[in-house]
Formats: sequence, C-alpha cells, structure tokens
Amino acid sequence: MKSNAKLGDYVEVHLSKIIYEGILLETPESEKGVVLLKLDSGYNIGLNKKDILEIKLIKKSQERKEDIIIKKESSKPNIAMIITGGTIAARLNPKKGGVDWLTTPEDLFKFYPELFKKVNVIKVEVPFMKASEDMDFKDWQKIAKTAQRLLNDSNIKGLIITHGTDFLGYTAAALSFFLRDLNKPVVLTYSQRSIDRASSDANLNLECSALAAISNITEVMLVGHASINDDFCYAIPATKVRKLHSSRRDAFKVVNSKPFAKIFHDKIEIISDYKVRNRNKVKLDLKFVDKVALIKIYPGQDSSILNYYLRNKYKGIILEMSGLGHAPTKRSRNNWVKKLKEIQKKGLIVCVTAQTIYGRLNPLVYSNGRELFDTGIIYLEDMLSETALIKLGWVLAKTKNREEIKKLMLTNFSHELNDRLEE
Amino acid sequence: MIKKDITQVKEWKKLGLKCGLEVHQQLDTNKLFCNCPSILRQEEPDFTVKRKLHAVAGESGDIDIAAKHETAQDKEFIYKVYNNVNCLVELDEEPPHEINKEALKISLQIAILLNCKILPITQIMRKTVIDGSNTSGFQRTVMIARDGFIETNQGKVKIEGLFLEEDSARPMIRDGKNIIYRLDRLGIPLLEIATAPDIKTPEQAKEVALHIGDILRSCRVKRGIGTIRQDINISIKGSNRVELKGFQDPKIMVKTVENEISRQQDFLKKRMNNPSEVRNVLPDGTSKFLRPMPGEARMYPETDLLLLNIHRNLINEIKRNLPKLRSEVLEDLKKTGLNHEMIKLLIRQNKFEEFKEFLRILDNPQLIAKILLIFPKEIASREKISINKIGKILNKEVLVYVLENLKRKKISEDQLKQSLERIVKGEKIEKAIVFEKEDINVVEEKIIEIIKRKQGLSLNAYMGLVMKEFHGKIDGKEVMEIIKKYVE
Repeated sequence: MKSNAKLGDYVEVHLSKIIYEGILLETPESEKGVVLLKLDSGYNIGLNKKDILEIKLIKKSQERKEDIIIKKESSKPNIAMIITGGTIAARLNPKKGGVDWLTTPEDLFKFYPELFKKVNVIKVEVPFMKASEDMDFKDWQKIAKTAQRLLNDSNIKGLIITHGTDFLGYTAAALSFFLRDLNKPVVLTYSQRSIDRASSDANLNLECSALAAISNITEVMLVGHASINDDFCYAIPATKVRKLHSSRRDAFKVVNSKPFAKIFHDKIEIISDYKVRNRNKVKLDLKFVDKVALIKIYPGQDSSILNYYLRNKYKGIILEMSGLGHAPTKRSRNNWVKKLKEIQKKGLIVCVTAQTIYGRLNPLVYSNGRELFDTGIIYLEDMLSETALIKLGWVLAKTKNREEIKKLMLTNFSHELNDRLEE
Repeated sequence: MIKKDITQVKEWKKLGLKCGLEVHQQLDTNKLFCNCPSILRQEEPDFTVKRKLHAVAGESGDIDIAAKHETAQDKEFIYKVYNNVNCLVELDEEPPHEINKEALKISLQIAILLNCKILPITQIMRKTVIDGSNTSGFQRTVMIARDGFIETNQGKVKIEGLFLEEDSARPMIRDGKNIIYRLDRLGIPLLEIATAPDIKTPEQAKEVALHIGDILRSCRVKRGIGTIRQDINISIKGSNRVELKGFQDPKIMVKTVENEISRQQDFLKKRMNNPSEVRNVLPDGTSKFLRPMPGEARMYPETDLLLLNIHRNLINEIKRNLPKLRSEVLEDLKKTGLNHEMIKLLIRQNKFEEFKEFLRILDNPQLIAKILLIFPKEIASREKISINKIGKILNKEVLVYVLENLKRKKISEDQLKQSLERIVKGEKIEKAIVFEKEDINVVEEKIIEIIKRKQGLSLNAYMGLVMKEFHGKIDGKEVMEIIKKYVE
C-alpha cells in the first residue's frame, strides 16, 4: 500500500469491494495495523491495512491559522501562569491521536475565555511539560525558581500554576517549603475532566483560581471544586490537601484543617486565617535530600525491608502506621521494635504519619505505641504522609543533627501542623 | 387533507421529495457505559447536582453551529439524581466503562436482520451536545454497521448506518435560564437506524417505520411509550434539509411529512431558502424550531476508550443465534411453569417482554402473570373503568415501583393488589403502598371469635373470612399461622 496522502488529508481508501472517503487520521499506538478514517458523517472507523488496495489523495489538508488577539485591559489586574502539564493543559489532537499542550496565552484564551474576563494573563511560563506522576524534586525546584521570578515581578499580582492531579499534593507541599517570605498568592489548580468537553471542571477551577490569585490570601494553596456541583471551589492550604478520589472533580480534600476560603466565580468567602500581601522579596530554600522514602505498614510485614534502605544510603523514612501510630510489635511474628532501634542507631531518621489520613497520632494510648515511641521514632502529629515526605527531604538538607531534625519536623512552617482538630 | 392516490405519488416525485428516517430504539440491557439498570423513575430524586457547560472548539478548531446556539445563554443545568439508577459515570465524574457487550450483541443482531455490513474496527465518538441533556457535554456514539436495506411495496430502501449511542437525560422543567433534567434515562443504550434518503412518499416512510419496528421487537429492546423515537429528514427539490424530531406515533407520520413539505413549498414560493434546522414534532402533526442543524465539527473520538473491534467470531455466533420465533417464545414460557391459558394471554396481549422484565425484578412467574393479566381485568370490572384506562394508569413504571416495594418487603403479596386498586382510584403511588397495620392481638381475638361462631370450616374458608374482616391491613401468612393454632 503506497500513498502520498498525509495525516489530515481527505482521501479515498480503496478496499476490494468498497471505497471509503474521509479524512486520514493517525492510528493509536496500540493499533498499528489499522488505518483510521473520519467519514463525512463525523464518525471514525478503522480499516485493516492488509485489506487496503490504495489510498488516493483527494484534497490536501489545510492548515488553519487563527490570529487571536487578546486585549490587555489596564482596569484588570495582571497575573502570571506556570503551565506544567496534566489534563488541564492537554488538548486532543485528533489528527495525531495524541495530545497537544496549551502553552501560550492564545491557547489558553481559546479554551478558557472566562479566565481572561477577570484578569490579564501577562506571562505564561512553561518550565517543562509532564504528567505529574513523572515529576520529581528537580521539577519542584524548577517550578519554585520560576515562581520566585514571577512573584518578585511588581507587574504581577498573583500566580496560577496548572498541574496534573495525581501527584499535585507533593508539588503543593514542596512549594510551601521552597518558597520563603511569600508576598503574593500562589494558586495551584487542575482539571479532572478533559478540557475538550463542555463539562470540563477546568473552567470553574480557573475562574476561582484567578480570584484567589488577585486576593489577599498570601499562601501557597490549591483551588478546586468543593463538590460535584459547578458552583464554588475551596482554597486549601497546600500542605493539608490530598487527592482522595481517582476521578471526581472534587477529588482534592482538605485534611485535618480548614480551607482558607470558599470561592465562587464572582466572590470570595473567607473561612480561616491567612497571611496577607506584603512587600517581601520571595526567597528560595530549594535544597532537598531525595534519599527519603514513604513506607506503608501492613499486617505481618517483614521489617527486614528496612535493610534495603540502609544499604542504599537512605537518610530518612516516613512510616505510615496504623491507627494512632502502630506497627507490629512484641506479640507479632515480625516485631519491628528491634529493627527500628537498629536502623536509627545507624543514622536513619524515622518519622511516623497516620495511614488513616484523618486524625492525629498519639503513641501513648496503647502499650504497643509506647514501645514503638520508646525506640525514638518521630511522631508527626496530624501531618499528611505526602507532606511529611517532602518536609523530611527539605529538613535533612539543612542539618544532620538528630535533635535539630526532630525539632524542625515538629515546627510549623506552612500550616503542615494543626494543633486544634475541630473535626 | 391531500388525497393520496397514484397522481399524488407522482406529485411527490415531481417535487423531488427526499426523505430519510432515523429510528432510535432503547435496548433492554443495563446502561451502555456503566452498570446502572436502565429504569425510569417517578419518585423524588435522591439528590440534585448543578452544572454549567462551556462551548469548546471541535477538532477542526470550529465551534459547532448547534453548540454555539445552545451556549448563547449562560445556563445552569440542574440534574436530579437517583442512587439506584445513576452512578458516577452518568454524573460525568468517572470515565466510561467498557461498552456493554449485551447491548453490542443486540445491535449486531439487528444489523444482521437489516442486511447491514458490520464494521470490523470502529471508534466510539463524542458528539457535542451542550443543551445540558448530557452531563458531559457530549453524547457517546459509535457506528456499528452500514449499507443494509429493507424491502417495501415501493421498492428497496437503503439503510445507511447503524449507530449505538447513549440516551440523553430527560428534561423536566425549563425554569427561566435553568433547565432541570432527570438523570435516570441518561446512558440507556439507544440504537439509531438511519435510512438513506430513498423514501419517496409519506406512505412509504410509514411502511419503513413499521417494518423496522417489527425487526426491533423481535430483539431485546425496550417497549412502551418513549422507548422508540423517530426523526425524519426531509427536503424537496430546491430546499434545504430539515430534521423533524420526536415522533412517538407512526399514525401522525404521514400528516407531519405532508405539513413539512407544504412548509418548505411556502419558502420556495416566496423565493426564499428555508433554514437547515432541527424541528420538534407537535402532537397535531405540525412542528416547531428546536435548533440549527449540527455539522460534522461536533464529532471527535472518545479518548477514554480503545478502538472497538468487532470480531468475526462474535458475528458468526450472533448469526447462529438470531432472535427466537414465536414458537420458541412459547417454549420459554412453558419453562416458567405458567399454565397454557396464561401463556396464551401473555402472547396475545403482547405482554411477553414485560413479563420477562418483571421476572428479573421478582422471580415469581405466577404473581407476575396475575399482575399483568388478571388484576387489571378484575379492577376494571369492579371499578367500572375501561381496561385501556387501567392499562394507562397501571403503566410499566407504576408496576415496577410496586413490584420493587414488594421485593423490599414494604408490602406483602396480599397488599399488592390493593395497592394497585388504590392507585387506580387516584391515590399517589407513594401513598398507595403504605398500609396501616392492625394490632396482632386484635386480629387474634377476632380469629378466635370467628372460629367459635362458625365451626367446622376449612383453613382457607376461615382465612377468607378473616381477610375480609381486616381488608388488607394484615399479613396473610401471619393470619394463617394464628388460624392453624386454633383449628385442629
């Protein structure tokens, strides 16, 4: 089968008994033996390559170039955006079958005209384009550097960062620690429903993010749907947010804290205290030790897994324990107490968080807890495991002193600890 | 009214009438892209959800004209949600599951019966619809087959395509700029059969509709009002194509087509172009503007699903097991243990499909046969209401509701018939399943009294007397227990 037709061209596909007409599309990776054709009705069908006698070019595809001119209005506040990837910045390219990224103000304007009603987006920075599950600490550092530059630009009133949802919580926590002396709002937002559909949650999330970015709430926060209704979002402290649903638009929930505010498309209702705008210059505190790990405890688990981390020169471990902070102890066939003592003696820092997600740890209630507590492991109160992992990597870069590390881990830098749980 | 004779047929030909039919039929399976049951609800919803939709540029970069029309206003959509027939998929909160295999099989059966060629590889598409009738802003649809035909008295009519799609949500109230929908119907598998514009006369349109209807009914499709809908595409020489939507009743089809032809003729007489648009059919056979005709810009692939491969083996299997004939249906019914009379009645009254459907709710063939055949008749004669009217009041949805309450033991078998009576008498269905319960001690005293008064009767005779006394406020099983205690 030879053809001079390219993707997007209008073609005739000749099979032995029938000729189809339509637009030639790219075939998905998984279906290499298939030619995909868009019929005049709009329907796509697949044709087996081995059945095709000829693909005849009828009409070349025409590149459409639209000139979108976004008017900048001086009456509107200026904001900047950092685009990092994820559903919110991915648009389907049906010719390719894959996605194109939205990386310019013009792209954004085409998809999110509502955003531009409230603010001028005067800068769009793209440090990289990745799905959030592909990111690591170096990516968080890049975002932080870009953010610092934008926040210290006096023309910009606030910053929106769009991001994939999967590991958004980690980036959010990292920025909370990396950006010191914050002077303006830093808003992370996302989309759970692809933006090619009219029902995308990105619209409300971005509209509310724009309001948050020009508000007085000078915090790193995540703004997203509060419920499955398209009526308002919550602005949630970036260290206290967790993705708790794989697909719902209100996937992100505040854990062991309260949102800063409830944000409608046209107003903000404040819920809890926040820092206000100021004339600080934002500083970076980027150093990070990535030899940290997060381990979830399960029944009967063999503690010798910890040998791996020792051997591979890990510096710190977050153990996500059961209930108030428990792991298998003396009545278990796999008592963790001895191993925990041993690895700490060898220099590994061990912190504890709650696998219940909600609630505060307290190792003193049960004897098992006391036994574990006596090994010297650090119980991180009500801190989220993901936030704890990031914070440990950040703290370990500051000091090697065990007592100092413990003190820093239990110092509240950015709302990660809450000494009053109301729910 | 125009007289339809030979000259009339020639008249249609002279006008260059081009007419194509689109039949939409609900299939009798769970929903197309999730595992929710395909049942419509009457009650108040469990909760409501508020949503907005935003027009999005299609793959060509254009915003579809129909989509533009719909998004002109900043509407808020309110969805009424039912926990037992809706899940996160209909709420646009979870990606679609794999296409319902049963629905696909039924579609393929119908494709074969319509002499279509089945597409071996096809892609599930999203058709942009932003009037709110789909929470996602699009309707999932896939082309299954093409190029079939049916024979009519006036020659072959080509079937252009067969499409399996999701039904939309039911609009309930339009309240200013807000529209309220029920989500129960969203996602029910809907098979679209589109004929080529080969139909030359309104009569032939009706014949095609009836013929397709016959084929559909031999397969597992939903029955009753609203489960089949017909659209007609019409143009005459020199005019633009108009889609007439929402025929329920083939009887008004001829009249509606004639009305549309004269409407298009009026434009031509005034030397004007009629707009290409979608119009809603009204019960009197006229029509009303609904929206501009959508273009191709509104179709793009459903990226959450893989290409749909329809394997040769599946097609062969379906060919071997095409729908059963009437004689085979009889055999099936015999297996349920129903007597000959009941079976005959079920088939004669065309209640076989409902019977099967109700059996899936409650596995009690005798009772279900009674509900469908005996009770309506008894109530009709007692209340002196025509059986037709009873049939309309005790429609499928009402019966499903009562049956489900029986299944949940909210009412007993004895009470079911009374519930139906009370509904016929005008009580709301929610109330008609509520029964006062008689104090069991009072019942027991009454039973002792009856047994003393009329000695030597059979258990069943006492039962009858007691039931008559309390008129359904007691449970038959309990009563029998008590009677047995005193009658030895």
